[in-house]
Amino acid sequence: MIKVDTYRAVAEAEASMDGQSRYMGGGTLVMRDLNYGSYGFERLVRCTDPRLNSVRRDRGRIVIGAGLTMAECAENRDLAFLAAPAMGVGGPAVRNMATVGGNLFAPPPFGDFATAMLALDARVRTAGGEELGIEALLASRRTFRRIVTEIEFLPPPRGGFRFRKVSRVKPKGVSVLSICALLPQSGGRIRGARIAFNGMGATPLRATGSEAALEGRPLDRNGIAPALDAALQGLSPADDELATSWYRRTVAPVYLRRMLLERSHAY
Amino acid sequence: MTSFEFRREFFADERQGQLNEIGKPTIRQDILGHVTGRSPYYDDHLFDGLLHMRCVRSPHHHARIVSVDFSEAARMEGVRRVVGPDDVPKNLNTLLSLIGFGKEDEPLLTPSKVAYRGEPILAIVAESERQARAAVQAVRVEWEELPHVLDVEEALKPNAPVVNATYPGNTFEYYDKYDHQKLRFGDVEQGFAKADQIVEGSYRMSPIEQAPMETCGAIAVPETNDRIACYTSTQALFFSLATTAKLLDMSSARLHFVGGTVGGGFGGKVDSIVEPMSVLGALLTGAPVKFMWDREEEMQVGAPRGAELWKIKDGIDSRGRIVARSFTGYFDSGAYTRLSSYAVVKATGHLPGPYSIPNVASNVFCVFTNRTPATAMRGFGITGVDFAIECQMDRGARATNMNPIDFRILNAYRDGDMKAHRRLAKNTALIECCQVVADKARWIIGSQSRTQSSLRGGGGEKAHVPATVIDEEGRIGDRRRSDVPTAPHSAGGRKRRLPEGSLRGEDVVAAPPQNPDMLGDAPASDPAASPENGRTLARPRFGPPAEVQVDRPRPRRPQARERPAIPAAPARPSTRRPLRRRTSVSRHVSGFRRR
Repeated sequence: MIKVDTYRAVAEAEASMDGQSRYMGGGTLVMRDLNYGSYGFERLVRCTDPRLNSVRRDRGRIVIGAGLTMAECAENRDLAFLAAPAMGVGGPAVRNMATVGGNLFAPPPFGDFATAMLALDARVRTAGGEELGIEALLASRRTFRRIVTEIEFLPPPRGGFRFRKVSRVKPKGVSVLSICALLPQSGGRIRGARIAFNGMGATPLRATGSEAALEGRPLDRNGIAPALDAALQGLSPADDELATSWYRRTVAPVYLRRMLLERSHAY
Repeated sequence: MTSFEFRREFFADERQGQLNEIGKPTIRQDILGHVTGRSPYYDDHLFDGLLHMRCVRSPHHHARIVSVDFSEAARMEGVRRVVGPDDVPKNLNTLLSLIGFGKEDEPLLTPSKVAYRGEPILAIVAESERQARAAVQAVRVEWEELPHVLDVEEALKPNAPVVNATYPGNTFEYYDKYDHQKLRFGDVEQGFAKADQIVEGSYRMSPIEQAPMETCGAIAVPETNDRIACYTSTQALFFSLATTAKLLDMSSARLHFVGGTVGGGFGGKVDSIVEPMSVLGALLTGAPVKFMWDREEEMQVGAPRGAELWKIKDGIDSRGRIVARSFTGYFDSGAYTRLSSYAVVKATGHLPGPYSIPNVASNVFCVFTNRTPATAMRGFGITGVDFAIECQMDRGARATNMNPIDFRILNAYRDGDMKAHRRLAKNTALIECCQVVADKARWIIGSQSRTQSSLRGGGGEKAHVPATVIDEEGRIGDRRRSDVPTAPHSAGGRKRRLPEGSLRGEDVVAAPPQNPDMLGDAPASDPAASPENGRTLARPRFGPPAEVQVDRPRPRRPQARERPAIPAAPARPSTRRPLRRRTSVSRHVSGFRRR
């Protein structure tokens, strides 16, 4: 029989975790596992600490609680640049429950919000006070056993943040892949771009080839051409029910081009 | 948003100008429950002590069961009963046995050999779903994998694995004689020989899962009077009830089935698998038992619309008229029959589509492969071949360098034409639909096409059953002995020519209607009998005389003593105006206007 324990303080919740426990944020992934007979755990741990749902500023950085739901994120004025990735998650019922923290652990075809966090170069904080970068978390998430409490990042420059979800069924299909880009500009040229793909590997991954190729280039057709050629460097999409690896490799540079050139997608 | 547009200018004399229902707001009887969220799903029915049933399923497409060890599962916490094939009183069924069509070929729980991935071999009943799932995981099955076949054409080869022991030729058997459903009308080979060009096409459709919102399932609950109540997702309540009674060898009077109106069906909830399973669980445990597929099961073992493959060959003359058309059709039934055998008959009755073609032949196969059994879905048997036919019409238009709508109108059937299955076409409206579609799409059609009408140009010579070449190719078992070609008239062997106006050597006018009220616009038989033999004339007068409208007799009104002794439903005089005359109202020409 599954046991459910609810704690007020996140530190208590983390202290109670063992190999048979699974932390439940919004439950959109854990309950599915439970309903479909996952036997990796016998106990669910919940936490009702209101700070998990907070959004605050700290020395210029935005800090959001890991328990913030996608619906709350999409409605928050201070997080307007994250409205697109938040609204790209599930339908209203899922967004009402799914959390920012949970999305960091959601395998493809889910996890589009985590792609935005990767593009923003976010840092995560755990219940034990440990801090680590988003890339380190994503790389170790299969075995990560601590509770993420907060995620923090610098707000993107105005007009310098873009997100695109690619699905075959409109408007609410599952993500074949998604792309998120942080595109700071100086004098009309890109300086320090971060481009992240979801669905092009086991976790959200950076398109480091495209990032390097964009450096010092303008966002026009000629300026982005080298970045498109380098888009697939380091990415290894899989065949699955939604698309073949070939299809993803073929369309990824196309969608990257559209996202980089279409200003309507810029925040 | 679209709106209904009634094109009154067509067939104006056939009905009053006003439609009484179409285009009018109507309140569905169940809509109040739907919009207020009160319509119950079967899974909304809650019972104390409810037990949960889950199946052990085959991970292989085709395999023999060497051994099953459920001793550990049976000892697990919460497990109340392991249900095996021996627990099913009559563990072999075919759905359409209820109407006497087909042989029993599918077990409810498979005892020895699985023929598709996901086929159930054992069920566990436990106190919670989680316990049932855990026990299923604990069952140890030793499999001996067998070669499998997933393609319909491969399945017809002599050395193909035998998918379904009841049908060792891997096809459903029609009339105890052939491995396919035949249609022969005229002489296609002669038609092809006379044609100016031959156009061939091959069209393949994948299976489509109905994907209902609530997955298939049922909850069976013992009642105190030795009856079992069953709350089910079925979209065929009495069909499921009778199938359950048959498989469990019990009186249907002991079964009380409760259906619902939500959850979706689309054809995917007629196969009556979950009801006998849950009722069996309740009978064996004496407790309420739920058997509900999860989403993965719905996708893997839920019967989809089957895959189809159609090969069409047309002979077209220099004027663009199709003078001969042959079909080779394959319905992928999956491992068992379910409803594909019937889909084949339905499809054959539809050939060659809404066109008047003097020579038609088809061989349509219901093929068994090691795929999930296929079943009903929205017009199954028709939609697939219609897609193929219309693609083929586009191909024919390109080959003849004709406007595709002109090409369709030129070849369209008209009232009074004899169709390939020996019924006179009536209430045809393809020409008018083409004209309206052309207008809506701003597609320019020829002036000749513009002046055509379904009411003119039909019948006459086209009302005859032509002299027809028949053959005996494709007898049951032939394909096991050698590689027999599948296209009509391709296998060689003895052929016979039936004289014009005859069927199976007997003179006929057309297949008689089963009921008087099916008499529509054309006479079912010619009243002028032959003075020579006292039977129908070998060359009957069909349809209207040239240039005369089709005769539309009034249907025979039932006599007073024939009327059923059932009180009539209350009429709604305020919304329903009596029709001026009783004619068929199945012909509608409409356009959809985008707002």
